[in-house]
Amino acid sequence: MNITRRLITVGFAAVLAAGVAMPAFAADLIAIITPSHDNPFFKAEAVGAEAKAKELGYETLVLVHDDDANKQSQLIDTAIGRGAKAIILDNAGADASVAAVQKAKDAGIPSFLIDREINASGVAVSQIVSNNYQGAQLGAEEFVKLMGEKGNYVELVGKESDTNAGIRSKGYHDVIDEYPDLKMVAQQSANWSQTEAYSKMETILQANPDIQGVIAGNDTMAMGAIAALQAAGKGDVIVVGFDGSNDVRDSIKSGGIKATVLQPAYAQAQMAVEQAHDYIANGKTPAEEKQLMDCVLINADNADKLETFALAD
Amino acid sequence: MRLKAAAVILLASALGLTGCKLVKTADKDREAEAGAFDPDKLVAEMWDGKVIPYLEQRAAPLRDVLAATAADPDAAGQKHGYKAKQGNAPWTFIAKVDGTIVAEETASRAAYVDVDVDGDAKADVRVAIGPAIRGTALRDSLDFVDFNAFKNQIEWAQFGKSFNTHVNATLLETLPRENLTGKRLTATGAYPLPAKGQLPQMVPAAVTVGD
Repeated sequence: MNITRRLITVGFAAVLAAGVAMPAFAADLIAIITPSHDNPFFKAEAVGAEAKAKELGYETLVLVHDDDANKQSQLIDTAIGRGAKAIILDNAGADASVAAVQKAKDAGIPSFLIDREINASGVAVSQIVSNNYQGAQLGAEEFVKLMGEKGNYVELVGKESDTNAGIRSKGYHDVIDEYPDLKMVAQQSANWSQTEAYSKMETILQANPDIQGVIAGNDTMAMGAIAALQAAGKGDVIVVGFDGSNDVRDSIKSGGIKATVLQPAYAQAQMAVEQAHDYIANGKTPAEEKQLMDCVLINADNADKLETFALAD
Repeated sequence: MRLKAAAVILLASALGLTGCKLVKTADKDREAEAGAFDPDKLVAEMWDGKVIPYLEQRAAPLRDVLAATAADPDAAGQKHGYKAKQGNAPWTFIAKVDGTIVAEETASRAAYVDVDVDGDAKADVRVAIGPAIRGTALRDSLDFVDFNAFKNQIEWAQFGKSFNTHVNATLLETLPRENLTGKRLTATGAYPLPAKGQLPQMVPAAVTVGD
């Protein structure tokens, strides 16, 4: 009987702990974990999340996992050890990250994912997913239009271990392959890198001087490609990127790269922090775990409205 | 006695949870039985019984939808459209078109006709006639399909594309392709909220071209 009573009391305590709103006081910590800030896209995420967290009165712990799932796991341990109230995470792999997010959940820390999704639901509280596939389709449709639906082109693919590299490539081909007069003469990975894209582009041009277009899986590779093309006197080749960086915006404005696709990095990071705050302060979970953030096409028409991964109205 | 009561409550809540999951598992089992993810089949199976009745029931004349949108896009969306509860997708509107073709672009594989519905000889809507169709307006107009029920954005996108493939194969391939301008067009379809100054880009779920 005694034991029963104690069990029931413990049960009630657990229910109370889980259900009752806890006030957010200044000392509450939110951990913000993303890939390396070398890529301005991830930096914008971290800056956006940090700004919103501070605005809401939280302390922040900003960490980078460099797309290394083991490092990510250690950083989650750090966040747990520091008693974070929530984790904002742009994860290091759709499958590899499930265990890490589960570990945080088991320790009572909710995770709010941004940009990339994981292949499991019910582990994170929310997944605010960049709709890379939709973005790739937008970029490819613009590319097809600029190419006049015909010609030889090159595809520069991102880092193979990154899910988004494959998703974007699939999205591109989903559209481009409907046009039989568009011929892909080379497809190579440049690992998201500008310098690698430059040297790969140089090599590709030697074997295939007759190309009219380059579609790149991200903006840094598009920057490398346009530089190599301009150096070879082929600045009129149509180059399309992905991300919506300020570098590519400036290139579009000066007539270099023709288009890119904006992922709302800053806005989605802020949205994740707002949802984390709502969860911490009011115990509220979003209506849907997985939330798609559509991308926006950027070309000469709207490039001047773009600033640090956000588009002014 | 108390223990029993607690056990019953626990059992009840456990059952409740399991009940929720059973639905999903059943769906997954069905998917597994059918083999790999087959978006074309999913669309074909829901087309006549769910998609067409839903669109027919919700579609208002384009003029009314455009007027409502100009006045208040959100109110118009609630009444004439759909968007996912969360995320940043724009409203997708559902409308009926009955008008005259005033321009045609059939050299492109993403072919379309521009249609005037109010008799001023100016285009009010651009209707895709394939074979390449841009966007996922048909999928995005449906209130009974949801990204959360799909494994990831790739499957969700393939599902979206399958609506276009279906329309193309069952509807658009047999449409006339020449001298369309001046002919009457009727259609029921969906389009996302257009950017300022741009025509609505409609993907039809039903379409006829007459004289």
